[in-house]
Amino acid sequence: MKESLMDILCCPLDKQDLELEVVRRDDDEILDGRLVCTECGEEYPIEEGIPNLLPPDMREETPA
Amino acid sequence: MVDREKATEQVYQPAEDSHLLAETTAEQVANLEADARVVDVGTGSGYVAATVAEATGVDVLGVDISPLAVREARDHGVTAVRSNLLDGLAGPFDAVTFNPPYLPTDPDAEWDDWMEYALSGGPDGRRAIDPFLDDLPRVLAPAGRGFLLVSSLTDVEAVSERAAANGLATRELAEESFPFERLVVLELTHAE
Repeated sequence: MKESLMDILCCPLDKQDLELEVVRRDDDEILDGRLVCTECGEEYPIEEGIPNLLPPDMREETPA
Repeated sequence: MVDREKATEQVYQPAEDSHLLAETTAEQVANLEADARVVDVGTGSGYVAATVAEATGVDVLGVDISPLAVREARDHGVTAVRSNLLDGLAGPFDAVTFNPPYLPTDPDAEWDDWMEYALSGGPDGRRAIDPFLDDLPRVLAPAGRGFLLVSSLTDVEAVSERAAANGLATRELAEESFPFERLVVLELTHAE
């Protein structure tokens, strides 16, 4: 994900701002890392360039 | 891990509804500034997002609840985020598009896999539409516009009423009739 996305993303639980922690990036974007809610502290992974903003209980690979 | 070929079978591929929504939206938002913010909800393969982006030159964000869909959308060059509807988005957006799952389905016979999830609108066809309409005003810019694909199978009137209850005005922008249904693109804006 590009860093500019930070402007329009929020924590899905409380809609507060997220803080970016980069683990791996290339010239264009962040490939691996996490987004951490500045309010509730919940962590959302960024994997293969895609941030996963599902709350923890919705993260399984199969539908409910 | 699901392999790529199997994954494609599990992601909704562009159909008549996708084309109608993509073409209508591309036409309507043709004058957006290059730095406008546009999001395609339930982007699936990324078709609507990619089509609108190509037509307008604006970078369109694609969100989907399915891990297979966000990967496929990204493979198609769409900036993708995994999110349930608008949950992880702060906005404000100048345009929001949504081709929702809208087929009314028997609750006992659904959600076995991601493709069924992408099609199934629950008993009344509005399982995804209602929460989308409830949350849209939060992320829609003051002059922003939503573009929602609705089928006559889903009851266009009921959708408009739900929108009105959330302070949204609706207007039919385009329609296309098929033997068993009529597809409509509804514009959603903040009511005056």
